[in-house]
Amino acid sequence: MTRARSLGLVWPYLLAAVVGYLLGSIAVLASAALGGSSSNTPLARVGFALRESPEAPLPAAGIIDGDVQAVRSSLALPEREVFDLVVAVRGLDNGGTSDWKRAEQICQALTWPRCDREALTQLKERCVP
Amino acid sequence: MRRMLDKRALGIAALFAVALLLGYARANEPRARFAQAIASLNDAERSALSSAPGQTVANAIWALGSEEAVRKMLRAELDRVPAADAKARARAFVRFGIIDSNPDGQAAVFFQACVSEPSLCDRARLIAVAERETRARLVEPGQHLPLYLMSGHPAP
Repeated sequence: MTRARSLGLVWPYLLAAVVGYLLGSIAVLASAALGGSSSNTPLARVGFALRESPEAPLPAAGIIDGDVQAVRSSLALPEREVFDLVVAVRGLDNGGTSDWKRAEQICQALTWPRCDREALTQLKERCVP
Repeated sequence: MRRMLDKRALGIAALFAVALLLGYARANEPRARFAQAIASLNDAERSALSSAPGQTVANAIWALGSEEAVRKMLRAELDRVPAADAKARARAFVRFGIIDSNPDGQAAVFFQACVSEPSLCDRARLIAVAERETRARLVEPGQHLPLYLMSGHPAP
C-alpha cells in the first residue's frame, strides 16, 4: 500500500473526528444562548459571580464573558460606566484578575473624588451585592 | 466491495458521534458545574440573583461616588426597588439621611427608613445600620454619622 493510498483511507476518519468534536463544542454555546430559565439568565449568572468573595478565584472564569456583555448592554448611562468599573475591579471578564489601569480610567471618566489604587482596592471589597 | 464501503461509512459515522459527544462533554463541563452551583441555591437566593448586579453597582457608587452620583443612584434605587423589598428601600433611605446636610431632611428620610423597615424605628438599631453604611463609604460626604443621629433627637 502506498503512502498516498493509506492517507486516502485515514483522512475521512480524521475529518469525522475533528468535525464531530468542533460541532459538539459549538452545540454547548448554542444551547446556552437559546436556553435559560428565570434563574439562569445572564443577569442571574453575573449576579452569582458577584456574590462570590472578591478575593476568591472566579468560579465562572471564561463562562460569563457573554453574560457580562449582555448585562452591560441592558444598562443605561451612567450605570453602564459604573458596571464597567465593577467588572474591571472584580475581573469579571478577566478570570477574576482586576484590571486596575482600566478601572482607574473609568473612575476618572466618572469624575469621582478618589481614583487611586488604594481606593480602588477597597472598592473591590465593596463590589458585592 | 460494497460491504467494505458500508463498514467504512459506519466506522466514520461512529467516530463522528463519539467525537461529537466528547466535544460537547468537554466544552460543557465548566458551564455545567456553574449551572449546578446556581441550582444548589435555595429559592430566595436564586430569585435574588437577578437584582445582584444592580445592588453591586449601587454599592460601588455609595463606596466611591461623588455626592451628585450618590443622590442620582439613590433616587433611581427608590424608583427601582419594590416596596416589598423593605431592607433595600430602608438602606437607600438611611444612605440618603447620611449624606443630607440638613437635620430636618435627615429626620424626614430616617422616618421613611423606619416606615419601610420597622426594626429601624429602634434608634440604637438605626445608628448601628448608619454606622455600617458610613464605614462602607470611602469619600466625603457620608463618612460620619449625621448630626441627627449623634444628637439627642427622639427616635423617628
